[in-house]
Amino acid sequence: MTKTYRNIYIPERTEIKEKLYLTGDVCLFRVESERPFEYNPGQFFMVSLWGAGEVPISVASLSNKRREIEFCIRRAGKVTSAIHELQEGNFLWIRGPYGKAFPLEYAIGRDVLIVGGGIGLAPLRPVLQWGLQNKNSIKKISLLYGARTPEDIIFKEDLQEWAEKGINVVLTVDRPGDGWDGNIGLVTTLWHKAEIDFKDAVSFICGPEVMIKAAIKDLFFFGMPEERIITTLEAHMKCGVGKCGHCYNGEKYICTDGPVFTYKEIKEFNLL
Amino acid sequence: MTKEWILPKGHLSYWLRQLRNTASLIAPLRVDGDIVFKSLENIHEVSLDNPALLPSPKEFLFPQQESLFWVEDGTKVRQLYNNEKRFVFGVRSCDISALRLLDRFYLEGYEDPYYSLRRKNTVFISIVCNNPDPTCFCIGLGTGPYLEKGFDIQLTDLGDRYFVQAGNTKAIRIIRQWKFLFNKPKRVDYEDQYEVFLSSKARFQKRISLENVREYILAGKVKDSFWGSVTERCFECGGCVYECPLCTCFTVTDRVYSFGIDRVRLWDTCLFKGFTRMAGGILPNEKKILRTKRWYYHKLIHYPDVLGGFGCVGCGRCTVTCPGKIDMATIAIKLRDLQDND
Repeated sequence: MTKTYRNIYIPERTEIKEKLYLTGDVCLFRVESERPFEYNPGQFFMVSLWGAGEVPISVASLSNKRREIEFCIRRAGKVTSAIHELQEGNFLWIRGPYGKAFPLEYAIGRDVLIVGGGIGLAPLRPVLQWGLQNKNSIKKISLLYGARTPEDIIFKEDLQEWAEKGINVVLTVDRPGDGWDGNIGLVTTLWHKAEIDFKDAVSFICGPEVMIKAAIKDLFFFGMPEERIITTLEAHMKCGVGKCGHCYNGEKYICTDGPVFTYKEIKEFNLL
Repeated sequence: MTKEWILPKGHLSYWLRQLRNTASLIAPLRVDGDIVFKSLENIHEVSLDNPALLPSPKEFLFPQQESLFWVEDGTKVRQLYNNEKRFVFGVRSCDISALRLLDRFYLEGYEDPYYSLRRKNTVFISIVCNNPDPTCFCIGLGTGPYLEKGFDIQLTDLGDRYFVQAGNTKAIRIIRQWKFLFNKPKRVDYEDQYEVFLSSKARFQKRISLENVREYILAGKVKDSFWGSVTERCFECGGCVYECPLCTCFTVTDRVYSFGIDRVRLWDTCLFKGFTRMAGGILPNEKKILRTKRWYYHKLIHYPDVLGGFGCVGCGRCTVTCPGKIDMATIAIKLRDLQDND
């Protein structure tokens, strides 16, 4: 072989520096790569484990100079279960970042509403982190976050920190346990607690499909323009680069045209 | 840039033998009454008197299964490339037209290194269809039977000689290597070639405009009840996908051996229920109608929007393969009839 081609399918090695269980089946992996990666909130990496396969996982941290990336992975299928078996010091193979990022520039000079459900908070976490870094150029940040039970709430420490730093954090659970004195029910019953100007706000939504659908409908009804209702979709993927065809939905590839879409695009291309 | 020559038929096997000496030669070959594209050892095995419908040469650029790379000791990744130089002889115009879209699909945006290398190493020698099959409908799509551009080397059978056209500098260089075999075309050759083209055009039995079908779908005139009836006839065999020169979906899987791990990609089919299965067993396309619709929408709506051409070149392979008779041509004709009655 004389010429080497840049191969988009070959992942690069990272080392697991920290493995932190956030709930019974959700684990935060902090990995260190051998070269710096630049990625933005909303983008994803294809995460590989030899013998198990490859899955798309969105970034749960802001790009930093320390070559660190955080992935929040729920034990859901074959590959994610195998990744959960890994220990600190083991290797995880990644390629990316792929996909379109959240259009954070929409947030400048506006109220920001972040709506998360379950593990859907993970891709929104870097948005919140970015929001705190750019507090002066944003009006107000509100986070509405719902989980099944109090035990299923992820990033508990972050939530506390964000609340302390001035983010309006509103939590709710479907099934309260003992000692829960907060909200009960779906996040879509908490709009009155968002305390933002819906007409001049931008919203970033991620969660189960039913939640996304309900949230979009309500926000649009409240007068939020459809291009500022932004969500991120998920799909089965094999390549992440628009070739394998698995994530083709409506008229778009979730991997290269998304995974971040505005409600305008979702409506136009029948994505949900 | 196109250049023309004349190749006397008696020179063909000599030329093919010469080509065979510089690279591997893949050509249609009769095996037990079937015609397949295969790497040739003996030039006399080439089957020249073929029906218009041959197997799709898609697999020579995008094989049904291929190893992407090997992993040894869990850390050493070895890339696998097939760097073989090849001539593919006897391909039809429709399949050459498909290459234009495949190239855009695989090489734009993120370049697929495997396709890219195979494409660079492969020269296609196509043959104009003098005698289209009843299932062929490339004529309505402009993807055949004769191509103005986009081919490497195109041959037109003029009876006792071939009219040879080279469509790019690489192809011209190949012809010039054996230029003593080729003559300069005379005026009569051009005239004969045009006549062959006209008579071939006249032989098409199917006249289908996918443009009309697309407009009709986009106008929202095709109801889900229509797709429902199509869906009922779908056996989910995936035959249309595997035969289609423009179906590109694949899946990736790891094969674990004691001496390493082989990451393989294989053809996959959007018509299978598990195609979109996500972790936890969620099936976004669980309803069969969504899958059938997806196949047609991808080819008729998405392909033209994104790649500038239909995801169909009118080769008619799905017409032959589909056991439920819901192939592209049949559906297009049904929709045209509906349109006429509107």
